[in-house]
Amino acid sequence: MSAPTARRAELLPRGKKPKNPYWVSSIGFVAPGVLLVAVVLYLPFIWTSWISLNEYSGLGDPEFVGIENFTAMFADPGFLVSLRNTLFWVIGTILLPVGLGLLIAVLSHGMRGATWFRLPFLVPYAISGVAVGVIWSFVLQTNGALSQAMAFLHLPGADLRWLLDGPLNTVMMILAASWQGAGVNALLFGIGLQSIPKEPIEAARVDGASGFTLFRTMTWPMLAPLTTVVVGLAIVGSLKTFDVVWAMTQGGPGRVSETLALTMYKETFVNNDYGLGAAVALFLTVITVLASILYLRRQLADSRSM
Amino acid sequence: MLARKIVLGVLGLIWLVPVYLLLANASKLPAEFGSYGLWEPGTLGGLWQNMLDAWSRGKLNSGVLSTAIYAIVAPAIAVVVGAAAGFAIVALRLRNGFFWLVVIFAASIFPLQMILMPLFVGYAQTGLFNTRLGMILVYTVIAVPFSAFVMRNFFTGVAHHVFEAAVVDGASTWRIFWRIYLPMAVPALVAVFILQATFVWNDLLLGLTLTQSAEVRPIVTALSALQSTYGGSTMSTVLAGGLLVSLPTVVLFLATQRIFTRGLSLGQF
Repeated sequence: MSAPTARRAELLPRGKKPKNPYWVSSIGFVAPGVLLVAVVLYLPFIWTSWISLNEYSGLGDPEFVGIENFTAMFADPGFLVSLRNTLFWVIGTILLPVGLGLLIAVLSHGMRGATWFRLPFLVPYAISGVAVGVIWSFVLQTNGALSQAMAFLHLPGADLRWLLDGPLNTVMMILAASWQGAGVNALLFGIGLQSIPKEPIEAARVDGASGFTLFRTMTWPMLAPLTTVVVGLAIVGSLKTFDVVWAMTQGGPGRVSETLALTMYKETFVNNDYGLGAAVALFLTVITVLASILYLRRQLADSRSM
Repeated sequence: MLARKIVLGVLGLIWLVPVYLLLANASKLPAEFGSYGLWEPGTLGGLWQNMLDAWSRGKLNSGVLSTAIYAIVAPAIAVVVGAAAGFAIVALRLRNGFFWLVVIFAASIFPLQMILMPLFVGYAQTGLFNTRLGMILVYTVIAVPFSAFVMRNFFTGVAHHVFEAAVVDGASTWRIFWRIYLPMAVPALVAVFILQATFVWNDLLLGLTLTQSAEVRPIVTALSALQSTYGGSTMSTVLAGGLLVSLPTVVLFLATQRIFTRGLSLGQF
């Protein structure tokens, strides 16, 4: 009995791959994953895409209406506000939690007791979005903890209605989400920094580079693959933003702080307009996929060559 | 180095301010809430009382068992399913293995919103709506793509002659998977498990959509309901509820931070 190896396969003439002796088991091992994903994720995905072309209230049969849901969606001022807020979320989430995560990782890299210094940032990450919302609603309520502190320090803005006026409330929620998300980015960047080979950094240091120059010319370029992942995850995550907003404003007052994820939920489960909800979901999916194609392509290409 | 420590320390203290406010105000009894400033600590004795209050008012007791089951069972199944897929692709050299990896992993890119409504309708028709089985199923599937991705990368780092040697010894692929590959992958499995368990415990959207009764509903959903039902008068109760719901994941995450970091760097994305 001989096990096939890659080397042996390469020795064979082109186009005549030997049959994989484990093909039955290999299918058996991959099947549960593929089946689960197909039935619970891909089939619903296709159905939602189809429903986006229909008028459907959950009762009776869907009625085909073509792109009517999409035209209705873009004609809705509430949707446009939601779209703008989602854009804010994407930009804010790339700038703040990713930037802060990088800062924390770089500052704590190679430091004695780095674990302890990173601890305060990891606590919020393990907290649920709803609990984050509970805490920050309390801090940001009108005349709440933040306003009181600002008044005490005689800072201007103590009378701002943090969660009641848009787009201020969206900005504040992005800050709350950044408080939650910076720690995990610091963790990921920390892993990346550890895997950077020491020699080139040492060589650059001998050549006189230090501090920010060293970071800009050596560390940052070598972190690039990881940055792609972290930014990609941040984009995908921010597009799906739901729980923090749900807990803090439920998209209100009115619809001023809605995100696309929330708009979809409301259209579907509050207004029972499944078709419109599906259209929003599909639109959200298209921009999420477009946004992540770049990062994913690069990632998978890298790991394929391993 | 000292300057870096100071910057980090100050930043860390700022990060802990909301945690302080949470603790300070979750420990004030509703009756004394108005008489203290928001920045002053309350009497610590109030914390326990408020937690009990949140526990009973939020009906957290009925949901906590379900949530624990979801957060343990679903990621546990998912890491094994993901590892099996990774094993098939890497060790068994599944034909077009890379394509199948993409099929599994790509499912995690599109937003959950895309599957909510069909799951809601489908669950209603099959009797899975508002059942623990239905929740375990959906949480498992959500966790599979990431698990398969990390496990496949982990197995790529394992020399193929480990597999060949086991074959020479006469072991079946089933046995090789359970006895050699899975035990070898424990750090990566644990890392993925922790990450997914945290996600499941903290999920709101699926709980909100696919459950109804207090027994089946995940507790984060219950916390959300507690928050929207009660106004400022019982703010301390809501805050205590938030603390209560967050404790398990915070403790798990902080306690396992090292394993987590090590496991993920082995998986190397």
